[in-house]
Amino acid sequence: MSKTADSSATGNYRVNHLARGRTLRGLGLATCLALLLGLPLLVNEYQQFVVNTMVIYALIAVGFNVVLGYLGQLAFANAAFFGVGAYATGLTMVHLALPLPLALLAAGAAGTVAGIAVALPALRVQGHYLAIFTLAFGELMRWVYVHADAVTFGPSGFNVPRPAALGLLGSPERGKYYLFLAVAIIAIGATVRLLRSRFGRAFVAVRNNERAAASLGVSVARAKIIAFGWSGFLVGVAGGLYALLNGRVTPDSFGLAQLLLNFAIVMIGGLGSVLGSILGAILLTGAPELLRNFAGIEEIVFSLLLIGVLFFMPKGIGGLIAARIPALREPLHRE
Amino acid sequence: MLEVRSITVRFAGLTAVSDLSFDVGEGEILAIMGPNGAGKTSAFNAITGFARPAAGEVLFDGRSITGLKPDAIAALGIRRTFQNNGILREMSVLENVLMGLELSTASSMAGVVFGLPSSVRAEQEAVAAAYAQLASLGVSALAERPAGSLSFGQQRLVEICRALVSGARLIMLDEPAVGLSPMERLQLGEVLRDLAARGIAIVLVEHVQDLVMAVSDRVLVLNYGKKIAEAAPEEVRRNKLVLEAYLGTA
Amino acid sequence: MLAQLAISGIVVGSVYALVALGMTILFRATSIVNFGHGEFFMLGAFAIYVLKQGFGWSYPVAIAIAFGLLFLVGVLVERVLIRPLGSAPFLSFAMMTVAFSFLFKGLTRFFYGRDVSMLPPLLNGEPLDFGSVVLFPQDFLVIAGAGATMTIFFLFFEYTQVGKIVQAASQAPRGAALVGINVPAFHSAMWGVAALTGAVAALLIAPSTLVYPDMGGQMLVHAFAAMTLGGFGSLGGAVLGGLSLGIIENLMGGYVSSSLVEISAYLVIMLVLLVRPQGVFGEWRTSRV
Repeated sequence: MSKTADSSATGNYRVNHLARGRTLRGLGLATCLALLLGLPLLVNEYQQFVVNTMVIYALIAVGFNVVLGYLGQLAFANAAFFGVGAYATGLTMVHLALPLPLALLAAGAAGTVAGIAVALPALRVQGHYLAIFTLAFGELMRWVYVHADAVTFGPSGFNVPRPAALGLLGSPERGKYYLFLAVAIIAIGATVRLLRSRFGRAFVAVRNNERAAASLGVSVARAKIIAFGWSGFLVGVAGGLYALLNGRVTPDSFGLAQLLLNFAIVMIGGLGSVLGSILGAILLTGAPELLRNFAGIEEIVFSLLLIGVLFFMPKGIGGLIAARIPALREPLHRE
Repeated sequence: MLEVRSITVRFAGLTAVSDLSFDVGEGEILAIMGPNGAGKTSAFNAITGFARPAAGEVLFDGRSITGLKPDAIAALGIRRTFQNNGILREMSVLENVLMGLELSTASSMAGVVFGLPSSVRAEQEAVAAAYAQLASLGVSALAERPAGSLSFGQQRLVEICRALVSGARLIMLDEPAVGLSPMERLQLGEVLRDLAARGIAIVLVEHVQDLVMAVSDRVLVLNYGKKIAEAAPEEVRRNKLVLEAYLGTA
Repeated sequence: MLAQLAISGIVVGSVYALVALGMTILFRATSIVNFGHGEFFMLGAFAIYVLKQGFGWSYPVAIAIAFGLLFLVGVLVERVLIRPLGSAPFLSFAMMTVAFSFLFKGLTRFFYGRDVSMLPPLLNGEPLDFGSVVLFPQDFLVIAGAGATMTIFFLFFEYTQVGKIVQAASQAPRGAALVGINVPAFHSAMWGVAALTGAVAALLIAPSTLVYPDMGGQMLVHAFAAMTLGGFGSLGGAVLGGLSLGIIENLMGGYVSSSLVEISAYLVIMLVLLVRPQGVFGEWRTSRV
């Protein structure tokens, strides 16, 4: 077969294939959006609260996956980004009386700063060093929440003002839902675009082989800073939403138990899969509510889930989807 | 184009390369040969920024590139492959080739995040360029395959594709024929001669004699980090020092 | 006051050193960084507590059985959780150690709630007054116990044939297999030993602290700080790092603010990794290009 024939044949096939995939995906997205918008009509106030929590965790999981799945760096700072965001939103509303949109931006900014701060050692050291650094960073942040009580109100936390605008739709949970949903769709959409661009490719190249990536002109340092900064941004914003969800911020929410839940969601969803992260969040978010009544059960269930995933489903839900439903296969997915 | 001026490379207390000099010009193919541990890969690393030479200088287009970082050297138009794992295994072939365009894709972070038309277009153009490059080497059918699932020969072609798409002017190949079938080696030789004819300079480290003899304009032989011969393939084959180095007898 | 703070620092520091040494040995032997190591320490403390206070056995019996149990726990972790992962990437091993650490913590919390329990001191007696320094008999025991355990490890690694082979196996498992070492069994044994050091540390310090399910996390961070300070992967560095950390912590608490004691370890980790990642006492190990 001549070279030209070869290329035009695959070219045509690809164009058709792409066009069909795009229409299907467009239809799918539209249906999902319609369902999501109509959802509050089907649930009661408590169920709405659980759904709101799922939306937040979907955002957290996608953010965590950027670092863990795409960049391939083991970091334990996710709960810290989450906490930094929650405190940023809560405290700017309490102390500075910032309006809600600005308070959420503050959460994103604080998360980004925390992300970049954590990335700095990642430029010089890798692997377990980074893990240890981020572990220390997370615990340090919790210490700050407890001890900087003049600003953070100490170990018992503080109440977050309830913005009046959220009550306009009849119930406060419903108001929060539409806000959370809008934020999550915009943020996750931006993330998907980022991951499909040269930036996302650079993350995966760094994960695959730092030396080869550098030989292709990728600045490994820059890729790490962008990935950590973006991850911090997403998780920070999620933290801001979390402050609104509960109306209260306490240091306990951002400890090791939170981290375990984040790990479990991302691993079950699948490393390097946005769709998987969202599904993982939906699956696992309701669980802490159910498990809260028994000491230790939360840890036992999530750690067993994690072990099970590592043994039997190392690619998570995202891997299953990629194998079964080619139309939903994500680019840059793990081999 | 590339001028290497008496570089010395040391690591872990060993002198891997000592006082090595050579030139490569446009459209020229230089092969570096030598027994295992002769310092071939160390020389490569020193030129491409993965190791810092302890002494000497590397010039590209008359400009010193000594001590630059690998990504900065790549930006100047020097691309390399690695002995056995230069391919990004978990990425598709297309994505691998797109990595070659990392520096020439003009999308900005803000542009990508907000979906600005200029960045979207830049990304689409990159994809089109990558497809075109794959087609020109006749491997566009592989575009969607995970790179890790390819044969060694196909992986080499993808790596070369990735270097070409960036508009590289100097391509450095570290043992490209490892694991290749005789047919694939022949094909690789043709591709290399083709590139040289287009003015691209090529440096390759290689053990496989038939490939070296068939494609290179000049052969440089290293032994214990020192240059012991540099000449046309035919002459090197008859060189007494070279025979000693390979056969280990006087 | 300085002398008192420094000596008390050495007392706790020797326990950090011991735990850090256990982690370092495991890391050297298997190249796994064990994020669940703190839970070996916690389980060790609970094993002694349950046998001593729950069953009412005497200390020597409780200790002997607890040590044996912990060795078994280490071996089981390797056999059941680590070995089946085979040649999985670094991330999977790290996640597995995170997972089992939470599993152990959850199980302990399930059975013992969030209560804190106490162990009686191993040695009773009046505090001894050395002028400006006052020490309890228990303090001597801590230093002596940790010192003896660490000495045994050093002698084993540096001077015995088996110890040298162990070091060889960590650097080149295939080579070790060729010279006849049963590498999997060796890895199991190393996990057992690592868990055992956790139990020894628990025995030494738990009587002066308390016994509770969350005690492992703190110890893990301290051990990491000690290893980072001394140079990750260095046996001597782990010990020096542990002792230094104990002293730093006490001086910070004594001279600056008592609330800094809890975060000295975090600050040490972050500062060292930002400024001198090879560790204060360590040499930079360049990997082969």
